Parts: sequence; C-alpha cells; structure tokens
Amino acid sequence: MKTILLAAFMACVAATAAWADPPQGYPFVDYNAGLKAAKESGKPIFLYFGRYGCAWCDHTNKKTFSDAGLKALYSDNYVLVYVDAESGKRVTLPTGERITEAELGTRLNAFATPLFVYLTPQGEKIVQIPGFKTVQDFRDYDRYVRGGFYKKQTLLEFLGGKS
Amino acid sequence: MRRAGVLLLALLAGPAQAAWQWDAPLEVSTAVGAAVFPHVESANRQGIAVSGGTVGVAWEDNRSGAPRCYAAFKPAAAPAFAPEAALSAGECYEPAIAPLGGAGRFLAAWEEDGAVWARVLPGGKPLRLSAAAAVQATVATRGDQAYAAWAEQAGRFKRIVVAALAIDGDAVTVRAARPIEAAEPADEQAWPALAAVANGDVVAVWEDRRNKHTVPYGSRAPAGGLDFAPAARISDQKSGRVDGLGAGLGAMRPTLAPWGADGSAAVWLDKRDFLSGYDVYVAFDAGGRFGRNQRVQDSFGDNMSQWHAKVAARGDRLVAVWDDARDGTPDVWLSTWTGEGFGDNVAVPAAAGPGEQSDPLAALDETGALHVVWLDRGAEGTRVRYARAVWK
Repeated sequence: MKTILLAAFMACVAATAAWADPPQGYPFVDYNAGLKAAKESGKPIFLYFGRYGCAWCDHTNKKTFSDAGLKALYSDNYVLVYVDAESGKRVTLPTGERITEAELGTRLNAFATPLFVYLTPQGEKIVQIPGFKTVQDFRDYDRYVRGGFYKKQTLLEFLGGKS
Repeated sequence: MRRAGVLLLALLAGPAQAAWQWDAPLEVSTAVGAAVFPHVESANRQGIAVSGGTVGVAWEDNRSGAPRCYAAFKPAAAPAFAPEAALSAGECYEPAIAPLGGAGRFLAAWEEDGAVWARVLPGGKPLRLSAAAAVQATVATRGDQAYAAWAEQAGRFKRIVVAALAIDGDAVTVRAARPIEAAEPADEQAWPALAAVANGDVVAVWEDRRNKHTVPYGSRAPAGGLDFAPAARISDQKSGRVDGLGAGLGAMRPTLAPWGADGSAAVWLDKRDFLSGYDVYVAFDAGGRFGRNQRVQDSFGDNMSQWHAKVAARGDRLVAVWDDARDGTPDVWLSTWTGEGFGDNVAVPAAAGPGEQSDPLAALDETGALHVVWLDRGAEGTRVRYARAVWK
C-alpha cells in the first residue's frame, strides 16, 4: 500500500514538474491584481510572460529563479505578474481596454517565451527582454530599472557601460 | 497577319493568373474614439457571415462604458453597413455569427455575464445555452443544420460542449447538448471551432491542455447526432519534454471550415519553430482523421510571428488570413489554396501599409466572393473595416 501511495505521489510530483508556470515560491499575481498593487505600492512591475509547457521557461525557473538572493530581490522590490501567452483570461490595460492575456502577447510582439517585461507602477513599459537569462542578468536589469537608468539610456547602452 | 497578331495577344493574355480583385473598403462600426476599443475575436474567429448576399458582422466594444456586443448588416445592394444594433443587454464578449437560410438571417452566439447565449438575427430572443459558467461561443450552420459550441466549466477545468439547435422562424431552441467527452477534463479545453461538413457530419476542433501544453484537438460526430468520436490531436507534433524541460511546443486558436466532399480544413497558430514565433499551419480532415500539417505562410513571413489566423472555405475555394509585420507594421495577409499548397502571400490592399491593420475575419459566400473584416488602429481610435473581393 505504501509503495502504491509513494508511486502516486511521485507521479503527481512528476506531473506538476512537467510544465512551466511561475517559479515556485515567488508571489506572482495576475495582471489586473498586479497593476492595482503597483499603483498602491509604487513598486515597478516585473511581468513574466510564460507559456504552458514552455521548456525555456522551465529552464529559467530551475536555473535562475531558484536563486534565493534573486528571489528576495525581486519579491521585495517588484510587483510580480505572471501572464500565460496562450490564455483567454482577460486583462484590463492602463488605457481601460480589456483584452486577453494572449492578445497582450500580440501587443508586446511576444516572439518567444519566456519574455520579461519591466513596467512602471502606472503600467507603462520600461523594457522587455526575451529568452533565458542568468541571475546576474536579472541583477543588472534590476539596477537599470530601479536605478532609473532607463530614463537616459537604452538597456544596451547601460549594459555596455557597466563595469 | 492580323489573325497571327490576335493569336499572339491571346497567347500572351493566357498565362495571366487570376487574383482577388477588391472593392473599396467600408466602415462597419459607427463608434470610433480614443477610448473606444472594438474587438472582433471569437472562437473560430466567426465574427463575419454572409446570408443570401447580406453581410453580417459581430463584434464587442466598450462605447457604453462596459463591454457590449453589436452586429451590423449590409444587404448586397446597399452601399454601406446599416448602423449597428446591440446584441446583448449585459457585459458581453466574443460574439460569433453564422448564416441561416433566406436573405439576411443569421444565428449569433456570445458570452454574456459568464454564460453562453444565442439568438436569431434580426429579431429573435436570446436563449441561454450553457448550463454552467461558460465562455468562447461559436456557431456553425449548413442548410437546416445549426450548431453551437463553447467552453463550459466542469469541475476544475472547462470542457467543450456542443449543442444541436433548432431554428423556427426567429426562435432558436436546443435539440440536444453534450460535451464532446463525457469525462471531466484533465486540464483546460478552450476556443472551439465547428464545421457542419457536406455529408452532414459535424467536426469540432479546440485547444486542449491534457498534455500539459496547448495542443489543437479534434473530433467528429456522424450526421444527425452528437456522438463524437474519441478526441485526437490534429497537430502532428509530439508532446514531451525537450532535454528534460517543459511539456511541448505552443499552439493556439484553431479555426475550422468545411472542405471537400466530407472533410474540413483546420488552421491555427503553431510555435513548432519557436525561433520564428507563431506560424500559421493547416491540416485537412477527411472522414474524421486530420492528416499531415503544412505551413501556410510563405518564406517572406519567416523570422516573425503571425497572429490571428483564420480559415474560410466554400466550394473549391479555400483561403487563410492572418496578420504579421513583415513590411514593418502589422498588415492583413491572405493566401489562397492552389490545390497543392497555399499560394504566395498577398496583402489585403485596404488593410496594408502605414499604421496597424490586424485581427482579420473572413468568409466566402455562395458566389465565391471573399469578405474580410479587420481592425485598423490609428491616432483617432480603432475602426472596424470591411472589404469584399472577387476572384478573376
């Protein structure tokens, strides 16, 4: 009986690990809740644009977002929003327009997932970055966004000039 | 000598290929403004239909301060669309429309206040179709057959439900309704598309997440009933991890049209080449099994994502439409089936050029004319536009 229960448990673990969703342990919320929270808190938004079953999202979750320091940095300083690239769930843009999460991908020209988008607390886009990124990459993007460098430099200029 | 000249001219004219010849575009919606946001999305992108020459278009916008659905009609001889009328009383999304017998009669379905509704247009009273919370309605008709499908909550997830409808004058009733699969879904099912095919069968395709990523699935019920065969994937890509990661590649928003003696054609967005965003793919079903998948867009559409794909078919004509930004900004593109594959991509003239033209809908009428609706985003707001083309 114990063997059967253990096998069932392992099957559940394997099943839940088989697809990509937000990284575990991070306080991700949906788009509408995130925009509301950002306006109230004044924190910038970190929008994780993922896809159900996305291998590179899974890779990023395991290799990068598993870092405890990064988790603390982003959980403390950003409103974390997760959007599913193929979902019909509705979101309300800062303009008041209601579209689906998938349509938000069209508007962002989400060529590939994962796509990471940094937004002001008012929901205006600062920069968007596609594909797998390292812990150090996300630390650099954080300095660019919260340091206000985006007001004067492109991300490439900022990264080219970093020591 | 003169005869030889005539012969030469005839020979030169012979190879000239037929193409879509477009009428001047028309405005569909009267509500345009910076804070008015029209949307033409629906399950099977079914927001345009032609009934006896009358064009019907359904969409959603927020002119009243909340999302509401509207429909506008243009009789064949009319130079413009008549002012639109509201389809719904409550908060409404993603309306779909299909032709009924007689000129200017349509069946519409939509989501309103969390349920799916249908009515005959014009006139006709709304009828609630879904038993539980439901979204993403679509409709399909052929002769006196009428069907609707939607995604309805069943436990933790939604599943696809199909209803056979009876139309009597301007009244619609449900003859039978049942889920395609009796068991509770193992994961989300969404965005159904229906086709009532030539032999009387009804074919359904939808997004399915049972494989822990989105896969287009399909099934068929023989004429006269809703006894659907076991669901089967229409993508010829296998699910599974890549180097131990993820669950499979992306796909979304299947659309469907009747095609051939007893078949159908499904067109959807597919991310099997994930380095080029979503591509447009087609698969043909003959007798209940979808075959090899083929890419629709040509190589000039490589290295960019395609969006909002839709298939339309009638008689021996089959077209796919979508939008992409290969020329720098989003334009509406069209490809016509040649008998062996989809032909060169051509832009819909009034839906191309500077600015953003996207979100196409398409229908072919009984004469073979093509009717296309799209959204045109400009500084003054977003307009719903329409154009008709004939093949010659």
